[in-house]
Amino acid sequence: MKRYDAIVIGGGHNGLVTAAYLARAGKSVLVLERRPRVGGAAVTEEIFPGFKFSMFSYVVSLLRPEIIRDLDLPRHGLHILPLESTVTPMENGDYLAGWADHDETRRELYRHSPRDAEAYDEYGRLMHFMAQAVKPILSMVPPDPTSFAPGDLASLWKLGKHFRGLGAERLHALVKLMTMSSADFLDEWFETDVLKATKSASGIIGTFLGPRSPGTAYVLLHHYMGELDGVFRAWGFAKGGTGAVSEAIASAARSFGAEIRCDAGVSKVMLKNGRAVGVALENGDELRASIIVSSLDPRRTFLQLLESDSLPDEFVGDIKRFKFRGSSGKVNLALDALPSFTCMPGIGRQHRGAFSISPSLEYVERAYDDAKYGEFSRRPYMDIVFPSMIDPGMAPPGKHVMSIFVQYAPYNLNGGWTDAQREAFGDAVVNTVESFAPGFTSHILHRQVITPLDIERITGLSEGNIFAGELALHQLFFLRPAPGWAKFATPVRGFYQCGSGTHPGGGIMGASGRLAAMTILKNGA
Amino acid sequence: MSYDAIVIGAGANGLVTAHYLARAGKRVIVVEQHPAPDPSADIGWIPDVVIRDLRLSGAGLRIDEPDPWITAPLPDGGTLELSRDVGRSADAIRRISPADAAKWPDFCHRMRTLAGVLERLYLVPPPDIETTDPRELVRIGGLGLYVRRLGKQAVIDLARILPMSIAELLDDWFTSDALKGLLGALGVWHLKQGPRSGGTAFNFLHHHAGSPLGVFRPTRSNVTQALSSLPGVEIRRDARATVLAKNGRATGVTVEKSGDTILAPLVISSAPPRATLQPIAIELDPEFARAMSNIRAHGVVARGTLELSGEQAYSTFCLAPSLDYLERAYDDAKYGRDSVAPYVEVQRTNGRLEVHVQFVGRGGHEDLSKTVARLLRVQPDRLELSAAPESLYHGELTLDQILFMRPVPGWSRYRTPIAGLYLCGSGTHPGGGIPGAAGRNAAREIV
Repeated sequence: MKRYDAIVIGGGHNGLVTAAYLARAGKSVLVLERRPRVGGAAVTEEIFPGFKFSMFSYVVSLLRPEIIRDLDLPRHGLHILPLESTVTPMENGDYLAGWADHDETRRELYRHSPRDAEAYDEYGRLMHFMAQAVKPILSMVPPDPTSFAPGDLASLWKLGKHFRGLGAERLHALVKLMTMSSADFLDEWFETDVLKATKSASGIIGTFLGPRSPGTAYVLLHHYMGELDGVFRAWGFAKGGTGAVSEAIASAARSFGAEIRCDAGVSKVMLKNGRAVGVALENGDELRASIIVSSLDPRRTFLQLLESDSLPDEFVGDIKRFKFRGSSGKVNLALDALPSFTCMPGIGRQHRGAFSISPSLEYVERAYDDAKYGEFSRRPYMDIVFPSMIDPGMAPPGKHVMSIFVQYAPYNLNGGWTDAQREAFGDAVVNTVESFAPGFTSHILHRQVITPLDIERITGLSEGNIFAGELALHQLFFLRPAPGWAKFATPVRGFYQCGSGTHPGGGIMGASGRLAAMTILKNGA
Repeated sequence: MSYDAIVIGAGANGLVTAHYLARAGKRVIVVEQHPAPDPSADIGWIPDVVIRDLRLSGAGLRIDEPDPWITAPLPDGGTLELSRDVGRSADAIRRISPADAAKWPDFCHRMRTLAGVLERLYLVPPPDIETTDPRELVRIGGLGLYVRRLGKQAVIDLARILPMSIAELLDDWFTSDALKGLLGALGVWHLKQGPRSGGTAFNFLHHHAGSPLGVFRPTRSNVTQALSSLPGVEIRRDARATVLAKNGRATGVTVEKSGDTILAPLVISSAPPRATLQPIAIELDPEFARAMSNIRAHGVVARGTLELSGEQAYSTFCLAPSLDYLERAYDDAKYGRDSVAPYVEVQRTNGRLEVHVQFVGRGGHEDLSKTVARLLRVQPDRLELSAAPESLYHGELTLDQILFMRPVPGWSRYRTPIAGLYLCGSGTHPGGGIPGAAGRNAAREIV
């Protein structure tokens, strides 16, 4: 039987990135994917005949440029198309728009508030700078602050020096970003409610927090990170859907010699003398390798693939405490015509960008209130895009696909998610869109409603958390996924973790997968 | 009459600053806007060093040590009473949840260790993270070493727990709603946040500082009264004062009613930072002025007294039956209204029954007394409440407004851009709920 240098469990984008980097370094690598296709939560599927959807994750922004370069992804079919605008319809029939053209955005802001238009440039400069300051952390293996090992101390020292080098004013801004609520942070800059609501909405995505909850300001930075890399704009579509990103990474991995096997779910990691030696598949097969890497979330990685007696009690406790609390859902629609929004009637360039249903801070905060007490939002926050407007291949000629990211839909719904509840949730989404775009409902040909429970069932992400574990301050950096075990190694020798549940996690970034591969190679796989 | 220093405000911090300055040989006058001393109890830890330095024990300082320290009603009609003895508290908790009782001692010890770290940070000026001064770097290094010597668990707990919500922290440990409610209330104390908001675990620990193991309510005392009776500084009451400044220098204060001017080269204000600096805004640079206007200081508390005939049975009676109850109380305030079902606590100190109510919104508070009276099952006319329009802490204790960020980033050393003008109130490090700590730190910086 063939013995591999490394087996990667899970063919999501991080697992594929790890596999590609290991294969590139000359290792024999096998990727095992439970589903019939690779991608995990970054998949494109033809859900209705002729209509293709990025089923879960739908925009690309943070994919690390070094990964695109190292793996030569454009050669493997990666093509990012820019998302050109964001339009927020307001309850009074007006709108707030942000366009690709900076001057146009400024003019639009000026219409709402001359003061905010002035502040916007200064805000942008600060955020650009802060994003630059935080970026090195994304490419860094977190040091362990409790360790006295020279490597950790040196790393902590470097980190301290880096932050002190920012200068007082920016250091203070960083502390504020890390600790404040996005609403409070934006209150210091702007007065236009709809602007604050739309900006703060990006801070709540994937969290079980509202715009007034401390800890949401930090995510505002993410929007300025992608842009800075100069590779593409802040948000974009992958041609062919987000599944095309996964396919490109898979293709790169294969080109380096990695083997990828689908329909191959792993049931257990096999240990011998406390060391990982192989995996047992759901079909009973056993495969062996010197290194086993899991890209599954921490709960599945440690509580499902391993027997709990193979791990220290304290560590098991930490993993059990790691929070998931999925809060988002997705509604995918096949349309026979695009909807016309009251605030900007007709069909036009606005449909090549996003519509953000975040008319006021109070609207978004109330959406959160529903979820706090176990209900889905009656009037949810939504991020709507029409991928077929940018990539016509996603729908039959003359028809369209509409992707609606919805928050909040709590995993632990009162009474649990049933088919009836799923449809009620879908109705709430459709009715809310209808209130901003009358007549829209009549254009719906097909509808797919995805609850957090569905996300969990299909992708395996625990509690349907799209980041494989909440991106909260106490679950980041050297605490992700557990204190002392944030460096991709695990308490089991020969067993590594590389998914979004490790540092830095979140979004289609690939940074976790890359850092894990580098760590494995450094440790001498 | 000439003075070396004028202190604005005769609260605990103002008086502590005044007395430390007097001890250093300065002629000090304290100007206070209210005509009479506030009879209500001082709530919060009085650092031992302040008691010792100012010989407060000889000045009639009285510190309450109620036992049990809290009583909360249970849904079945009984009560949960927690004592100063950890074992007895565990026995009480066992009647509602054996699992929670088993964890109680460990929880108390973990929280005590973390509060100990805060206590150490609070008795000195906040660490200056931008410094290049070797002495300050050594001091910061010393703090770091102290924390690491507490062990691995303490370092991890600090990093993990401080940014957490009190709800997450308590859910990690306990199952009983009653227990989590009465503990969770301390996490939102004087804060416009609900128990599910990040940073409320820090607020909980802040208010545990100075309390013994297993006691999660701040000390009550008469420290302001004791300080008022100490000789050595002149106190002028009924004298609302405004700072005078010229060419970037403080020159004294004017007293509102009489129109008097008192001159001194040093002016130290224990009033809220924003209120202190507003009248001389023209002397400030725009960045600093903007930072001042950005201080978050929402008023969320109503306080008052309750008149009851006959003996009241409890020293502290807490109505916060669950974390969800607190969260819903906050929801109302989030949208500007008084809580329909507020968190209410009644504290008996020296025969007075003082009431603490959270949350209040922005508007009038017509129904608040009625609501609270109904919850406490007393006649509304027995209750007198007044809502504070601004934070009684002169700035909420959120993670972005503590340590070197308090009162505004870069100005945490009690100084202001106006030479000779200092701050010494709750709006400065370490903040409210620790009467005298900011006052002492400020006086030491000035001297």
